[in-house]
Amino acid sequence: MESAATPAEHRAGQKSWIDYIQKDLPAHLDWWPYTLGAIPLTLFGLLVATGLMLTFYYVPSPEKAYESVEQITHEVYLGWFVRGLHKFSVDLMILFLLFHVIRVFVTRAYRPPGEWKWVSGSLVLFLAFAMGFTGYSLVYDNVSYWGMTVVTSMLGSLPVVGTPLLYLLRGGEEVSGGTLLRLYDLHTKLLPVLLAGLVIGHVLVVRLSGFAEVPGSRGFHPFYPEHALTMGAIAVGLLVLLVDLVMIFPPTLGPPANPQEVATDVSPPWYFSAPYMWITLLPGPVALWSLLAGAGIFAAYPFVDRVLSERGWPMALVNGVVGTAVVLAVAALMILDTRM
Amino acid sequence: MAIIHDDLGRRRFLSQAVMAFGLLFGMGTLALRFAQFLVPSPKAKRYEAVLIGAESRVPLGEGVSMDLGGHKIVVLRTDEGVAAFSRRCTDLGCLVSWNRDRQQFLCPCHQGVFDKTGRNIAGPPPRPLDRFEVVKRGDQLYVNIQSG
Repeated sequence: MESAATPAEHRAGQKSWIDYIQKDLPAHLDWWPYTLGAIPLTLFGLLVATGLMLTFYYVPSPEKAYESVEQITHEVYLGWFVRGLHKFSVDLMILFLLFHVIRVFVTRAYRPPGEWKWVSGSLVLFLAFAMGFTGYSLVYDNVSYWGMTVVTSMLGSLPVVGTPLLYLLRGGEEVSGGTLLRLYDLHTKLLPVLLAGLVIGHVLVVRLSGFAEVPGSRGFHPFYPEHALTMGAIAVGLLVLLVDLVMIFPPTLGPPANPQEVATDVSPPWYFSAPYMWITLLPGPVALWSLLAGAGIFAAYPFVDRVLSERGWPMALVNGVVGTAVVLAVAALMILDTRM
Repeated sequence: MAIIHDDLGRRRFLSQAVMAFGLLFGMGTLALRFAQFLVPSPKAKRYEAVLIGAESRVPLGEGVSMDLGGHKIVVLRTDEGVAAFSRRCTDLGCLVSWNRDRQQFLCPCHQGVFDKTGRNIAGPPPRPLDRFEVVKRGDQLYVNIQSG
């Protein structure tokens, strides 16, 4: 499938980098579900900014971590607001990443030449989850302490790589101050750099490989100012929404970590609650392997689609059914989690 | 008769292959050392018997939780005698608690259940609770633990 030459390409025989930014977009991108990727991008910027601010007060040691979060929440001027923005931005970022994934999946926008858009995007999603886990551990209240224990144990139960990985994450056999420091380094240094690189890569791949053809979509509109303005309006609206959310639901803090007693409710943040229920309901190895297999199939989905459609499968229908089934299953697991 | 072309091409290929192998081996070793830097070496383990007190300190049918040198254990006295279990759930490392009414160990994280002999009877735990050896000297109870 060849992407049609856009008017901008017709105008200029030679392309400079500005043409890539200015590259015109197919008209169907006007419809709002096709702008869902710009929302997590905006939120990622906000997360970097508020995250940087939080590091000025946060101390990654078991004695000081909880205390410093408490100081940020209750003493520092507007500390609660910055922490609240950071928290809600993560929630909304992951929510809109999921919407974005669903939209791409249902419209099969990963079809050639878009395979690498999907693969790089799925890595962005996995890294966003890793950021969610490490960030949530840093709060060091009792729920986050035991969440940290459970997740590292789960990774440690993988065959072959499990034990070294467990030692690598925990910095020893047990969850300790070293674990907190390692998760802090991952959350504030290694993962953000990786994530930023992947996000840039993802956006570049999207810009360079163009968009899959959508039946009925004719004509193009320029990236600037039309599309850029839409995205800008969304970003401003998002900021208003976020400020409201933080004002209405200011961030809270549970009781401090207690290595002697498990928190009564160890439910993770909402975006982990479905896999959490999954590992509760199924025997350990089965649950873990099915999650890993699911992640693998997810990342390689464009190639699965290609193989199946070559054998005559009606992939548009298959995707509709699979997408609905997965969304319903995740919703059911989440509801089950709130009831247990 | 076949002519053997022992020419420059093959010689170059072999020498490059040997060099590439050597280079990869060296880089691999270096990478392995860096990985070792990140993974701390385990401490040597010693065993010692820790006094936990008189047998009468543990009431019948009651589980007493304690922390012995970093090991979170629960000492349980039943009709069969005194047993010491690790509180670490064999599923994902949360701490189990003794439930007196149900006469079972319960893990709050993923609803794992162990009976009074430490056997995993419900939920995701894959194996029974770890046990520590309990030694009785006179009226005093000792638990053999690893200390690091």
